[in-house]
Amino acid sequence: MPESTQSTCNEKVFDDFFRSHSRQLRSYLYYKFGDLEQAEDMVQEAFIKLWNHCAKVPIEKAKSFLYTTATNIGISHKRHETVKFKHKNYIKQRKSDTTNESPEFVMLEKEYMEKLKEAIAALPDRQREVFLLSRIDKKTYKEIAALSNVSVKAIEKLMHKALVSLRKKIGNI
Amino acid sequence: MLDDREENIFLSRWLNNELTDEELADFKADPEYKHYQKLVTATDTLELTSYNMDTALHTIKSSKKTVAKSPKVIKLWSFAAIAASIAILIGVFMWHPQENFTTVVGQQMAVKLPDGSEMMLNATSTASFDKKDWENNRTVTLEGEAYFKVKKGSTFTVVTPQGEVRVLGTQFTVQAYPTLFEAICYEGKVQVSNRNQQTILTAGNAYRNINDQIIEQWDVLDTTPSWIHQASTFRSIPVQYVFDTLEKQYHITIDAKQLDSDLRYTGTFPNNALDIALKTVCSTLGMQYTISADGKTVVVEKQ
Repeated sequence: MPESTQSTCNEKVFDDFFRSHSRQLRSYLYYKFGDLEQAEDMVQEAFIKLWNHCAKVPIEKAKSFLYTTATNIGISHKRHETVKFKHKNYIKQRKSDTTNESPEFVMLEKEYMEKLKEAIAALPDRQREVFLLSRIDKKTYKEIAALSNVSVKAIEKLMHKALVSLRKKIGNI
Repeated sequence: MLDDREENIFLSRWLNNELTDEELADFKADPEYKHYQKLVTATDTLELTSYNMDTALHTIKSSKKTVAKSPKVIKLWSFAAIAASIAILIGVFMWHPQENFTTVVGQQMAVKLPDGSEMMLNATSTASFDKKDWENNRTVTLEGEAYFKVKKGSTFTVVTPQGEVRVLGTQFTVQAYPTLFEAICYEGKVQVSNRNQQTILTAGNAYRNINDQIIEQWDVLDTTPSWIHQASTFRSIPVQYVFDTLEKQYHITIDAKQLDSDLRYTGTFPNNALDIALKTVCSTLGMQYTISADGKTVVVEKQ
């Protein structure tokens, strides 16, 4: 039976799918499970599983298959070890567009940034996940809600809480 | 508005620009506002370390390969492999570096061939061969004269414009000049192809074709060509070749206008003593010679 060009088993379709989804999945898994390198391994594992099941997973369903698979992989990893959210070397300040920021920001001391990153790392898992998806990956509340199958309202609540938590943690520096 | 009560989504709405003008004005008046503003501005400069997507895809592909699920994948890889092989083959066939050796007047040159066979070039000769392909194709292209000591192995061929000598055994000489083609076998067996005619020479056999008309075959007693030992030996050869040889060995011009072209010469002369050589040749032929003042021209006349 000839493969349709839209089959997940089609190499080009698979590659395109990988290119448009792997980066986001990596961020998601990192925010959720706290280790970027581990997240990259999980991305690979999930995509290999997708490939092995390509005949059974139509391309329209591939994204949800991918996130479910990856999340399951992450959960089974996490069962064996408690990972503290790691931000050193993983989250950094963009170099290129700091000059576009407000003058106040240019003045921001390194100390503040460190404090901010530590505060983010200390957030409850769900709050951190939502906060980073929104602020770093620029996802809308709707998109974030779709990723974890909850309502937009739930995301908005988590987002508000995350900001309040961060504010408390950072203090008046 | 900034508490963390369960139902509060004020800050989410602020980030989404969903506050009413009134709400926003109130918020801006709050001393907390600048702290939140700073927090969000600072967060927005953060990014993750870069992701090498190509490396990741490559890793996935390599593990896909071991799974070998889809015939389509295999097909693509094999196409790539075939394309690469073709490219390499074309490269191999297109790129044949030729080793070239040329001797000038009075010079001899010993050349070791890639398999250890030896080639000794006599004066004013050119030989070339393909070093890279030598293992598969032991072929030397020759113009002039050379002596070969061939190691055992695949067929060894000497190609000349006048004909081909194919080695079935070991030691032989080939002389290939526009009107003279001569081969002498000193050891083993050689096969001579000349004008669609094939002759097998065994040790001590000689073969000659002059002007593409007269084919001669005779026997020799020597075990190596005389020129290896600094001498030139001829057997019943048109005298013109003798003078040609003298010219090649001594870098002279011989002026022998009144020469009878049917005259033949048999004998040996040294390649390192011009006077003796000229004396030897001329006395046998009943002629006399004069060397010019600069030593470059020799006039030969009947006595």
